[in-house]
Amino acid sequence: MRPDTNRLPATTGKGLAGAYIERDRPIRFTINGRVIPGFRGDTILSALLASGVDTMGTHSGSPIGLRESAAPAITYAHAPTHALPMERTPARDGVEYRILANGPSPGLFSRLFQPGRTLGLTLNANGSLVRPWRAIKGERGASTDLVVIGGGVAGMAAALAGARAGLQVTLLEASPHVGGHSGLFGTQDGENTPQENIAALVSEIIASNAITVLTHAEVFAIGENLVRVHQLDTEAEPVTSRVVDFSARHIVIATGAFERLPVLSGNRLPGIAGAQEAFELAYRYGIWPGHSWMLATSGNPAYRLATLLDGSGATLDRILEGRDHANSRYIEFCKAYGIRQFPGTVPTAITPGQHGRLSVALPHGEPVVVDRLVLSGGWQPDLTLWHLSGGESRWNPKRQRLEPIGTVPGVVLAGSAAGHFTRRGCLTSGLDAVDRLLGRSGPGVDDPVIDAYYETPDRQMSAEASGDAAAPTYLDADDALMLRPAAPQPRHWTQIFRGPGKTPVRVLSEAPQPLSIGAICAGVGIGLIPEESAGIVAQERVALVPLHPASSAQAVTPAEPPPVPAYLADRFGPHAALVVLRHDPAWQLGAGALIFEDEDALDPRRAIGVVLRTRDGKTEALLAASAKKLVVRDLGQAIPAEIQS
Amino acid sequence: MSETQVDFAVFGSSPLSGVIAGLLASQHGRKVVTVGSALARYRLPRAIDLSVAPITRPETWALLAATVPEASKLIAKIGGRGALRRVDPIFFADGPIGTEALGHFSHMASAYGILVEPVPPSKIGEGRKALRIGDALTINRPAFEPTLEAWLTREGVKRLSDAAIFFGEAGSVEIGAGENLVAARHAVLVDDTTILNHLPGWQWPSQLLRRQQASILTASSQHLAGPIMLQLDSGTVLVQHEEGGMAAMGLGTLGAFSTAIAELTAESGQLQQVGQVGFEALASSDGAPLLGPVVPEGVQLLTGLGPTGIFLAPVLARWLAGEASAEEGAWCDARRADRGNSGASVAEFTSGFEERAA
Repeated sequence: MRPDTNRLPATTGKGLAGAYIERDRPIRFTINGRVIPGFRGDTILSALLASGVDTMGTHSGSPIGLRESAAPAITYAHAPTHALPMERTPARDGVEYRILANGPSPGLFSRLFQPGRTLGLTLNANGSLVRPWRAIKGERGASTDLVVIGGGVAGMAAALAGARAGLQVTLLEASPHVGGHSGLFGTQDGENTPQENIAALVSEIIASNAITVLTHAEVFAIGENLVRVHQLDTEAEPVTSRVVDFSARHIVIATGAFERLPVLSGNRLPGIAGAQEAFELAYRYGIWPGHSWMLATSGNPAYRLATLLDGSGATLDRILEGRDHANSRYIEFCKAYGIRQFPGTVPTAITPGQHGRLSVALPHGEPVVVDRLVLSGGWQPDLTLWHLSGGESRWNPKRQRLEPIGTVPGVVLAGSAAGHFTRRGCLTSGLDAVDRLLGRSGPGVDDPVIDAYYETPDRQMSAEASGDAAAPTYLDADDALMLRPAAPQPRHWTQIFRGPGKTPVRVLSEAPQPLSIGAICAGVGIGLIPEESAGIVAQERVALVPLHPASSAQAVTPAEPPPVPAYLADRFGPHAALVVLRHDPAWQLGAGALIFEDEDALDPRRAIGVVLRTRDGKTEALLAASAKKLVVRDLGQAIPAEIQS
Repeated sequence: MSETQVDFAVFGSSPLSGVIAGLLASQHGRKVVTVGSALARYRLPRAIDLSVAPITRPETWALLAATVPEASKLIAKIGGRGALRRVDPIFFADGPIGTEALGHFSHMASAYGILVEPVPPSKIGEGRKALRIGDALTINRPAFEPTLEAWLTREGVKRLSDAAIFFGEAGSVEIGAGENLVAARHAVLVDDTTILNHLPGWQWPSQLLRRQQASILTASSQHLAGPIMLQLDSGTVLVQHEEGGMAAMGLGTLGAFSTAIAELTAESGQLQQVGQVGFEALASSDGAPLLGPVVPEGVQLLTGLGPTGIFLAPVLARWLAGEASAEEGAWCDARRADRGNSGASVAEFTSGFEERAA
């Protein structure tokens, strides 16, 4: 296994040679006993992908791809005290790691003879991809004026604006580097390149004494003036992790946007990636698996990947465009490059092909076999933390995405998370976010969105559900592994021996997984969730971690019940009295035992009283005023009794 | 704008509202529309339907015993085998008040032929009294809802949006439906959300209280002792889902309820919430249903019925249509929304309220 099996040559142009790795500093580490090579600057995940390991294992009977949005947590083989995310953990030479995942572990034999491209996990248990730090209560962290979540263009602009306003700022970035995801989106007229823009912001932040930048710091819960962070200390040897609660007067959420997964059979097979994910793997780590590839998209920025890769050695077979009539400057560029494009075409299914390749079925003609498929279902603001903070959202049918609405005290959105997708829009929304938090009137957001006539808005992409699909269909590319709900299948006689097996949930309302924003969008796209309810469902189904658990507010009933509970009022007439019964002391009569006048009576409507309780050896009862002869019915027995007092 | 005249507009999204609308149309020959959206397939559950509840009044037990077979037959006819499920729920109590109420429930249920057996502490926890109730019926709302919609369509009951509602005199209502206007002689408000959103303030019953409730879906790998569990002290309901995970519904704000559920289910560490919603719900101050109008010419209410509501649907539909038997009519009239403090008490055990003396 070589560290560059799936890497582009170091000489690759257009910034796709791997900006974060040092190719002259090779490293080796082990994971579940298996030796993985890499380069200094790799994460555990990037080293695995570069070495050709692109499969987590199996889920729902089908291989499932290993990707940044769904990778198992790891720990140290000999000191399993720190759970680490493999996508954020820098790979270190000589370290031995172990995978943390529920479900059956691969045995020794399997570990020794694992096929080359899989981690060999069996992911059929709900919550197989555990994130153990989500269950840890946070230690108290620093208190600051402003916490900015997300180190992209908008987050950095907000941090600088906060510092200029005299605030102490903590900038939290989940990935190993600040800079965000604007690289794929290119430039508009008169703009610097994203890299130039980011470099300028970074140097200004470094020069500021008021800004503390924490990378490898993922926020997973948010409450009133509080954020909970899983933070890695990458300066430590080995890397350690902790969960910290940062308190702040103001919070800016600048977590960007993510790319939706088109809803079609086989959409999470190994070898499939999103356009942004594919770009960033190439830009950061020089990773590009295989030679031939296909792009299926319903969003414009994905086309830019095709032009960037031109001349890299990767051969683009064709571009499938999910929209019937899409216009974009990127589409025109691709035409100029001579790339074949098929408008109004959505793959019907993807199946594993021979030699680890992918077979992409099309509505017309023979399936196309490629090494890699890039699937892009358009971009969606990441509103997860917004929903966690209590924010609301609403489906925009024109733009086919969830958009934030309303306000949350002390919390504002900025950048793509707020729905601004131009770089200028992101920059100015970062500044505007701080103005709004401080109650200042500012110039507002300058978001030069190109008219929809020239840049057709993104759409979702989905194919019809098929009962005989060879590979499962997922609603999102995240670690919840949410399958497309399916109608119940008729029972087969073989289930007597092998059990009912794992089938997709039938309805979203009972799915024992949180529904990500991507899954909500997919649910709207395929008609599972009405558009008008998408925002409410998104807020209901976010994986909330309560930060300030209040003491139980449930009404605790008093220690002693009232002599006669209200639910017995008027049951035995207005003059019913509380009495003490005399009866065979061998019987301890239970509360609720009915009292009749007649030994043969059983109908509770003919009861003349009821036993309330036995206290201090005395049987208290509520009895109609007219009661003379008494028979208590308890546990099927008729027990004679009389009034003692 | 054209106007359509109907007899009843039944407001609500629950199975109870749908079944009442369908029965008024199919059994009683009324022209009916329903107002609200069908939500069970994508929204978190906020309540359950169960043929037993901690009821302590014998007349309610008698009515339920007479109606459950009729209601369950109807539900099975509408929804098929998947809609109705037989379960053995567990009712349990920790405090003395809940424990006493459990005793009253136990004797009453046994008297009406329901199998009730104690659950040993090893299964349910020390210091806790628990009963397993045999052969109760519950409705699988996500499975039932689409079939209910189809049945309503077959019976000529249209579902309208509640975007444009205008309450008129004598309990009537007008509903805007696009270019059309539907005028109903009687508005019937069934679900809590519907009542909270639409009941005019001057028609609010004095016994109707607003309470904070929450519903949480967890990814807990623990299996409950029963498929449905009800803690009488707090009113918390736990439902084990076939797909794995558990739904919990109960009183309190979301944060407080989350803490309570973690304690109740003895979850170590953080509860793995995969869905949650806090909302305002309604309860009557005496635990008994509130039926009919509050003022002589007001809108009709059907609230406070608890989990057994849908199993009383045939009775409620007959009562609304003026075709109830004498016994059914007496039960409903005793629980009228305008009863105030007059007449004999019909109070039932109420979870989560500090228990009052008679």
